Amino acid sequence: MNRQSSFEDELLALLPRLRRFAYSLSRSPADADDLTQATVERAIRSREQWTPGTRLDSWIYRIMRNLWIDTARSRSRREKFEAPAEEAIPVGMDGAVHASAELSEVMAAMQRLPDEQREVVSLILIEGYGYREAAELLDLPIGTVSSRLVRGRNALLGLVGE
Amino acid sequence: MSADEKFFAWLDGELDAAEAADMAARVESDPELAALAEKHRAMQAKIARAFDTVTNAPVPERLRKAISPQPSNVVDLAEHREHRLQPSRLGGLPQWAMIAATLVMGIFVGTLVPGRNGSPVQIEGGRLYAASSLDRALDSELASAPSGGAIRIGLTFRDSGGKICRSFTGSAATGLACRDDGRWRVRGLFPAGEGQGGAYRMAAGMDPNLAALVDSTMAGEAMDAAQEKAARQRDWR
Repeated sequence: MNRQSSFEDELLALLPRLRRFAYSLSRSPADADDLTQATVERAIRSREQWTPGTRLDSWIYRIMRNLWIDTARSRSRREKFEAPAEEAIPVGMDGAVHASAELSEVMAAMQRLPDEQREVVSLILIEGYGYREAAELLDLPIGTVSSRLVRGRNALLGLVGE
Repeated sequence: MSADEKFFAWLDGELDAAEAADMAARVESDPELAALAEKHRAMQAKIARAFDTVTNAPVPERLRKAISPQPSNVVDLAEHREHRLQPSRLGGLPQWAMIAATLVMGIFVGTLVPGRNGSPVQIEGGRLYAASSLDRALDSELASAPSGGAIRIGLTFRDSGGKICRSFTGSAATGLACRDDGRWRVRGLFPAGEGQGGAYRMAAGMDPNLAALVDSTMAGEAMDAAQEKAARQRDWR
């Protein structure tokens, strides 16, 4: 199998995880799937920038995180003038995540976190990255990651509880 | 590292062995800290469980298509299929290769032109069903053991509703039919390309239109030879 198709195969295999990362960052399933699609398209266009033998997942997560920051910035500018939209988790549509009250609740809680805490919580608590790997992916000192994680998870405990 | 950071680093398995043992001892001797650790573990488990519904859900077609767009040529599809069919190897060859080989070797003298020896398709209540030679081929032919008939069967698989579908090719057209109330309902029928007969086309690979239809219809993997045979024995149920 040539290099091109193995890149695509790996990308396909990563899709479910990539989607999960997008859901944890985004405020709605529709936004999350748009973000996933934009990420995948960017990854395919930039495939030459990926070094085979290095972690493809981290490379793509970084692309997604950067795209998300860009869209989050333009959105926050817009939302100063708009009321936030409430979107339900769609049911029974093609490939849609089935209705999960728990997912809605947790997504809403994640949305209450500042972006810089949310990305750290996403990578470490949901995606299972270690502190050092997350710090590298985010280009942050490990101490910054660690302190943001503390603030993020303490805030989440109040929002999600158990 | 603040006390808080150290506590959470311990919770996340980020401390070295000595520090971790230290923190474990502290937590054990401090019920309040132990309760806090428990609360955070439960919260984390809840978040992980909620987001796992995303990884467990089927990926929308548009995302998969963003990676593997509809094949621009038939060779790509053959590769794709070969990959999907990897688990069902026959004599060292992926089944797709077996099927492709039989298609390459076969000479397609059959006909899918209505009106000759009974139309192979008929319309009932606005629906297109297989008839005569096509109906018989879909009922009895095995891709893994072609009889040399006019109509050849390509892939057999189940759709997302669990119905068995089979792709077929004659000299004038290629298509896909799925079981519907004990009959073969035609889901797609594509004429052989202009200026190239079915044999030529199929030697090169599956028609791209059919390939796209198959791809969007198939749930899971295509059947291997044994599964195809078993499905025939169960009358394609």
